Amino acid sequence: MKAFYYQVAGHIFVLQTYGMEDVVCELKQYEPFVVEPTDDVLFRLTVTDEPMDLSGFQEEVKQDDDGQSIVAGTVAGKPCFEFWLGKRRSSVLMVDADGKEGVVSVENNRSFGINNALMVLYALCTADKRTALFHSSVVSYKGKAYMFLGKSGTGKSTHSSLWLKHIEGTELVNDDNPVVRVEDDGTVVVYGSPWSGKTPCYRNVSYPVGAIVRLSQAPYNKIVRLKGVKAYAAVVPSISGKRWDAHQAEGLHETENLLAQCAKVYHLECLPDEDAARVCLAAVVE
Amino acid sequence: MKIKKGFVLRDVCGEKVIVGESVETINFNHLISLNATAAWLWCKAEEQVDFTVDSLVEALCGTYDVERERATADVTRILSQWKEIGVIE
Repeated sequence: MKAFYYQVAGHIFVLQTYGMEDVVCELKQYEPFVVEPTDDVLFRLTVTDEPMDLSGFQEEVKQDDDGQSIVAGTVAGKPCFEFWLGKRRSSVLMVDADGKEGVVSVENNRSFGINNALMVLYALCTADKRTALFHSSVVSYKGKAYMFLGKSGTGKSTHSSLWLKHIEGTELVNDDNPVVRVEDDGTVVVYGSPWSGKTPCYRNVSYPVGAIVRLSQAPYNKIVRLKGVKAYAAVVPSISGKRWDAHQAEGLHETENLLAQCAKVYHLECLPDEDAARVCLAAVVE
Repeated sequence: MKIKKGFVLRDVCGEKVIVGESVETINFNHLISLNATAAWLWCKAEEQVDFTVDSLVEALCGTYDVERERATADVTRILSQWKEIGVIE
């Protein structure tokens, strides 16, 4: 058995396998996150190629996003998740009762299957730790990070690329799934992660969050600050989690409520042009 | 009447808001802000489990100094809004 230890946004987890070391070694995006072995781990995920017994699977929720889908349910009371890429099932994750141990059976497109299993376990285990796995594209500028949110296809990555192209000193932090933590003093910090969608940007860096900007497409560029319930409503749809589980919902709500109060949240209606990046920059950077 | 399974009252930035947090409500995608009276009625409705206009009017008049006629009008209006939005049945 071989075990690999990683730390993402301060939380350590273990990826272990019997006989599939080659698969884990293929996962280059985890290398920046490697840490020394320790007992203080949040969860363990075991990778196997043995098929999972899914008899008695009860489906709870199915989520589709751009040809990728997650089917969540239970088998004999234990949480279970199927990850599909198009019409092919990539992997199945089974989580034990206390939620700290998972087994992923990989079938097709192994790295996709392992990545998704890790993200789901990570979200489950950090929901009550003021930590949120976001769906967002993030850039850094003058020591702070700017997070762009929006529905699939809205142009989060496009907006980041406009900053990178037109605003000198901008760097990409993560293009798809960064992690955000709210510190005890109310500081909001965003961390790079091994999960970055189609863009290979796996940076082990962190920045205080300058602003969270929800994007929507429009035939003009206009930005407004959101506060209170509107700020909360703007961040919630971009945070991954098992909201239909009472304990998970409690933790997510606490984090989201803190974010709505501690972070500067904006709504940017925009075109995919240079002016959009400039309008955004002028409003969000102090 | 009953509150549909999965709808809960949350405190969001100091305001009272109804959110959906269950398998049944996962695609609800709305937040409903309540004023103080509506939030108080929601808590009573949760307590009573199976409630009616009358049972909530009774509770309202029993706690606050409010005319029955006024209370009935308020409760009826709020419940019909909730029914239309789909958070009670």
